[in-house]
Amino acid sequence: MTVEEIRGGDNEIDRFPIGMRVLAVDDNPTCLKLLEGLLRKCQYQVTTTNQAITALNMLRENRNRFDLIISDVYMPDMDGFKLLELVGLEMDLPVIMLSGNGDRNLVMKGITHGACDYLVKPVRLEELRNIWQHVIRRKVESKSQSKSKHNHEKSDQGNEGGDQNEKLNRKRKDEEEDEENGNESDDPTTKKKPRVVWSIDLHRKFVAAINQLGIEKAVPKRILDLMNVDGLTRENVASHLQKYRLYLKRISQQANMVVAFGSNNDASSYMRMGPLDGLGDFRTLSCSGRLPNATYAPSGMLGRLNSATGVSLHSLTAPPLVQPNHTQTKLQPVVSSNHQNMNLFQGIPPSFDLDHLQYCNKPNAQLTDVNSIEESQIFTGTNLADYSSIDEPRMFRGSSTFTDPISVLANQVGVKLTSTGTESFNLLSNSSGFLDQSGGNQPPNFSSNLIPVGESYSYLAVINGGFSSNITTTVAVPIEAHGGGLVGDVVQNVNRSLPNQKGPPTLATSALAGYGSLSGPVSHCRPNGSGSTLVQTDHTKLQSGFVSSNGYGSLDDIIPGMMKQEQGATALMNGEFGYNPYIAPDCDYDDEPR
Amino acid sequence: MEQNHTKRQIKVTRNSLFEQGYLDEQFTQLEDLQDDANPNFVEEIVTSFFSDSTRLIRNVETALENYPLDFCKLDDYMHQFMGSSSSIGAKKVRNECTQFQEYCKARNDDGCIRAFQRVKQEHATLKRKLEAYFQVSL
Repeated sequence: MTVEEIRGGDNEIDRFPIGMRVLAVDDNPTCLKLLEGLLRKCQYQVTTTNQAITALNMLRENRNRFDLIISDVYMPDMDGFKLLELVGLEMDLPVIMLSGNGDRNLVMKGITHGACDYLVKPVRLEELRNIWQHVIRRKVESKSQSKSKHNHEKSDQGNEGGDQNEKLNRKRKDEEEDEENGNESDDPTTKKKPRVVWSIDLHRKFVAAINQLGIEKAVPKRILDLMNVDGLTRENVASHLQKYRLYLKRISQQANMVVAFGSNNDASSYMRMGPLDGLGDFRTLSCSGRLPNATYAPSGMLGRLNSATGVSLHSLTAPPLVQPNHTQTKLQPVVSSNHQNMNLFQGIPPSFDLDHLQYCNKPNAQLTDVNSIEESQIFTGTNLADYSSIDEPRMFRGSSTFTDPISVLANQVGVKLTSTGTESFNLLSNSSGFLDQSGGNQPPNFSSNLIPVGESYSYLAVINGGFSSNITTTVAVPIEAHGGGLVGDVVQNVNRSLPNQKGPPTLATSALAGYGSLSGPVSHCRPNGSGSTLVQTDHTKLQSGFVSSNGYGSLDDIIPGMMKQEQGATALMNGEFGYNPYIAPDCDYDDEPR
Repeated sequence: MEQNHTKRQIKVTRNSLFEQGYLDEQFTQLEDLQDDANPNFVEEIVTSFFSDSTRLIRNVETALENYPLDFCKLDDYMHQFMGSSSSIGAKKVRNECTQFQEYCKARNDDGCIRAFQRVKQEHATLKRKLEAYFQVSL
């Protein structure tokens, strides 16, 4: 049966669950073959793969290609739970876990990670005959929610324009769009819920709305109203909120960890950042997957760093966190690999995630590719999953090269930088958010442009820290790894000693520049006394912000990289961050950033 | 006549496999999945099992030669072995794998080695029997 037949209008309900499209993932060939046979017997349309990564790619290519996913828990290339989270966040498809181990704790873990069901091998045919319920359940739920939201949506029509809307719309099929709005839905059960991609931009609005309302008062309807996004349903927001809350909870649990790491900030400070940077954290939440390229370790570090930085620049004393020298073959966004690491990430702009997302979207994509990644991709959170596999210990295992908060920041920024271009500064903005703890400027500006700088944390620091000129060459910049995205540039730049900002636009600066004149905001950044070059620069280029002539990494390199980014730099750079350059310990800044 | 004889023989062979505990009801499930669309399903999946498990056995043997024993890795291998043997209903093999895993958890070197020998034995026996069975039944 063709896809059209199966998914096409009225027929569907008659034939469903026959022809339901299932994606089966299991590294064990015998089990996979059995699963395939069983599913075929149920008259489902089966696609199999023995690699989680392949599965993710297939799903990312076309979200609407499958109705349901069944995945093994223990797989060599990616933890099943991570895949589960990624899929849940990015694609919002029902996922059933499968394992030889029926241990209660594992089952619990599966459910808490969002699995619709948990089956124990060997799977019986009768069990598989019922799995279609999960698909219907989701449809019904989304439909009822979208219907209730119908009126509200009507009023919002046309209000939200711009990228986000386009992206949302683009992500949905036309026929689905109607459903989403609760319009002529003939068949509740056949209606396919459009998948909403939570782009950085969208998430930013989401977080902004939550902050505005206050986390206790943040109910989906009101968030939706505040976000004012066309095509977004209350149900989308509700499920996103749920995930976000989980994320926050996780972060709070991690608070201790942060403290343990030597940061002077207490956990609460991290928590504070959370709301600001919903994306960042969120992302890490979503990234539960293991990074395919094991390079994410650094990203993990970033995450940590970022959070640390974000929280309190001055207190960034978690050298161990930063593992800057992580060379990554792939652009692994630093995104704190685990949700656990989220603590650190608290303030970390989602940029990491974005980067990661971008990155993850094309595992092999180099930085350059990242740029082309749409925002929507960015925030799928799943990308994060990739690095989520970074163990905490790894995260903290910093080569301590990066003790510089700026680097951390940079990391954060860097991560974002990788975003597709100008928006990459989202990261920055986010970071700035952190950085600007004192300043409190930091609006969670997540520009959607994340510069796909996987590794370039240092870069990030630069960017954010642009103001703080003390961008230590956060060595961590694994620029080399990437294929050349901005990150690469950034990172490299960072490593170079930072020349006076006034110089050629370093990657950071260029990145910054993209975002508009940093110089403005920079001024408030008050980079360290020493050469806060960034702040002082007259040029609008962001670089001023970062590169302090302290001789820390040179932004020069970064800037050029940034140049590559589309200019769309948003306010990210505008000093919103208030980013007081978080000066690295060795930086000689005499005043506290702020 | 000959056909009947063969059919009977097949049935007897098959039943004995069950009675002696080599196979369990999961194997029956495999047989149920075999139909016109998948005429050789059982044989295909059993073949896949044996090629996969042979590889695993080799890996385990190698791992057992490196001291100190990496129990995590061994446990991993066994987990896979368990998964596939339970999928085809290889009862005895699966039981021996469970034993092996117990010894792994207890970090018992000797126990592991001995248990693994039994796993190999059961594996070889089952392979022989199933091959004979398929020869007759197919």
